[in-house]
Amino acid sequence: MRRVALAILAIGLSGVILTDAAAQTQIYDARIRKWVDYDKKKARQLYARNKQLPEAFRMQMVPFRTAEKPGTIIIDGNQHFLYLVQPGGQAIRYGIGVGREGFGWAGIVRVGRTAEWPPWTPPAEMVARDANAAKWAAGMPGGPGNPLGARALYLYEGDDDTIYRIHGTTEPWTIGLDVSSGCIRMNNDDITDLHSRVAVGAKVIVLMQGAALYKGV
Amino acid sequence: MSNTLGRLAGILSVGAMLSGGGLAQAADLVIAMPNWPSGQATANILKIGIAKEFGLDAEIKALGELNAFVGLESGEVDIHPEVWRPNLDAVIEKYVEQKKVVTLSKRGVDAWQGLCATPAAAKDIKSIADLADASKTTALDTDGDGKGELWIGAPTWSSTGIERIRANSYGYADNLTLVEGEEEVAMVAVDAAIATEQPMVFACYAPHYIFGLHQISRLAEPAYDVGKWKIASGEDPLWVSKSNAAVAWPTARFNIAYASALRNKYPDVTRFLERIDFTTEEVTQMSYALEVERQKPSDFAKAWVKNNLARVDRWAKP
Repeated sequence: MRRVALAILAIGLSGVILTDAAAQTQIYDARIRKWVDYDKKKARQLYARNKQLPEAFRMQMVPFRTAEKPGTIIIDGNQHFLYLVQPGGQAIRYGIGVGREGFGWAGIVRVGRTAEWPPWTPPAEMVARDANAAKWAAGMPGGPGNPLGARALYLYEGDDDTIYRIHGTTEPWTIGLDVSSGCIRMNNDDITDLHSRVAVGAKVIVLMQGAALYKGV
Repeated sequence: MSNTLGRLAGILSVGAMLSGGGLAQAADLVIAMPNWPSGQATANILKIGIAKEFGLDAEIKALGELNAFVGLESGEVDIHPEVWRPNLDAVIEKYVEQKKVVTLSKRGVDAWQGLCATPAAAKDIKSIADLADASKTTALDTDGDGKGELWIGAPTWSSTGIERIRANSYGYADNLTLVEGEEEVAMVAVDAAIATEQPMVFACYAPHYIFGLHQISRLAEPAYDVGKWKIASGEDPLWVSKSNAAVAWPTARFNIAYASALRNKYPDVTRFLERIDFTTEEVTQMSYALEVERQKPSDFAKAWVKNNLARVDRWAKP
C-alpha cells in the first residue's frame, strides 16, 4: 500500500503526460450553480488560460466547524481539499492533488518532520524501469525540477515514517485531480504557506474515502 | 457505539484506585468522576450545587466505574453522576437490586443511537426506508464507484457489527458500502461534508457534541421491538449472518447513583439528587462545551450553576 505512494513521483520526474482520466473530480461552477466534471484535459486548458487554479482549489479561508484544535490538518481526498483548522470556526482550505485511489487509507497521523526544497530518491523498482529515474538513483537534489516541489511535510505514525508526504509539485494544474497513486500534492505557493504555519507534531487526519476502510463481512 | 464502548471502557479502566487513605477526610462527600465529558461536567455541577445549597464540601475523585461502585458500597464514594443502562445492568443488578447498597435516582436522561444525516443528505433521505432506494443513496458516493458509503462505527465497537446486521436486515447493505473507521475521523468527515454542503449519512448517538456543532437529523425508523431484535451471541463467528434486526436500537438511559447510606447521612442531598432533571440536549451541551470549546469541567460547571440558579434552588427546596 505504501509503496505506491512514490509512483506519482515517477510521472512528475519523467515528464510523462498524465494519462489517467480523473473521471470523479468535479468543480463547482458558480455561474451555472452546478458541479461540473473537471478532468485532466480541462484542467490543463484552464491553467494555460488563467495561469491559476479554479477558484475552488485556491487557498482561502472558509467556515469550518470542528471539535479539532486549531493547527490540525484535515485531508479530504474525495473533494481535493486540505484544511488547516483555525480558531473561531474557520479553516484555511487549499486544493490538493491525490492518487487515483485517493490516499488509500484513512486515519490519524502527525507531521514528523518538514523540509524545504526536499531531495528525492526514486525507489529501486522505479530506477529499474525508468531511465530518467535511474539518473537520480543516488538522489535528486531539491530544486524547481524536483517532483517534491518547494516543501514537504513527512507524515509519521507515532515515530515511524509512513513514507506519505504532503509536498509541492512541478505540475500545478494537477491540483484537484486524481492523477496517480500516492502522496498529497499542493502547488508550491500553497505548500510553502502551509509549511510556514504548521509545527512539527501537528495532528493530521486523513478522511475515509469510499471503500478505503471498507472491511467486508 | 462509543457511548456503550466508552462506558464499558470506563468499567474496565482502573482509574485512580481507591486508596483507603485519609484523603477524603477533609471533604463531607466524595463524587466519583468518570472519564467522559458529560460525566465530568455533571460531577462538577453536583459539587458546586451541593456546596451552594447545603454548604457541604464535596471532593471529586476520578474513578473507573467498577471502583466507583466498590466505593459506593464501602462508603468511600457517595455519588456517581452518570450510570448507563443497559451497559451497567450487571453491576446495577449486584449493587442496586441485590445488595441494595446503591440507589439509582428515579429520573434519568434518555440516550439513543441510530443513523443520522447532514442537511444536504436529509433533503432526500429522511428515513431508513430511503436508504434502500439506490437512486437516493448514490449521492452518498465518495469514491466514484456509483455506490454510496455509510459509516457504521469504529472497528472495535460492538455496535458496529449490529449496524451491519441492521443494514442487512433493512436491506440497504445492498446499495451502500458500509465503512468502518475511528470515530474521530468519521466526525471530521461530517465536519468536512457540512463545510462543503455534501450529503453524508452515518451512525450516530445522543447525547453527543456533534449535535451542538452541526445541524444533524436522525433518520426515522420503526421503533425497537424486542420480538424483532434477534442478535446472536457475538462469540459465534457467524453471528452477523445469523442475526436480524430491522428495527431501531433499544433506548439507553443514564441516571445519577448514590450510596444508599447517604439517605441517612444527608437526606437533603439525596432529595436534591432525585430532583435533578437534565435533558438529553443539556448533556449534549456539556459534551460540546468540554470537547469542542475545551472548557475546563469546573469552569463549565460554575457558569452552568450561575445560569441555572433558580432550577438548582428548586432541586434543593425542602
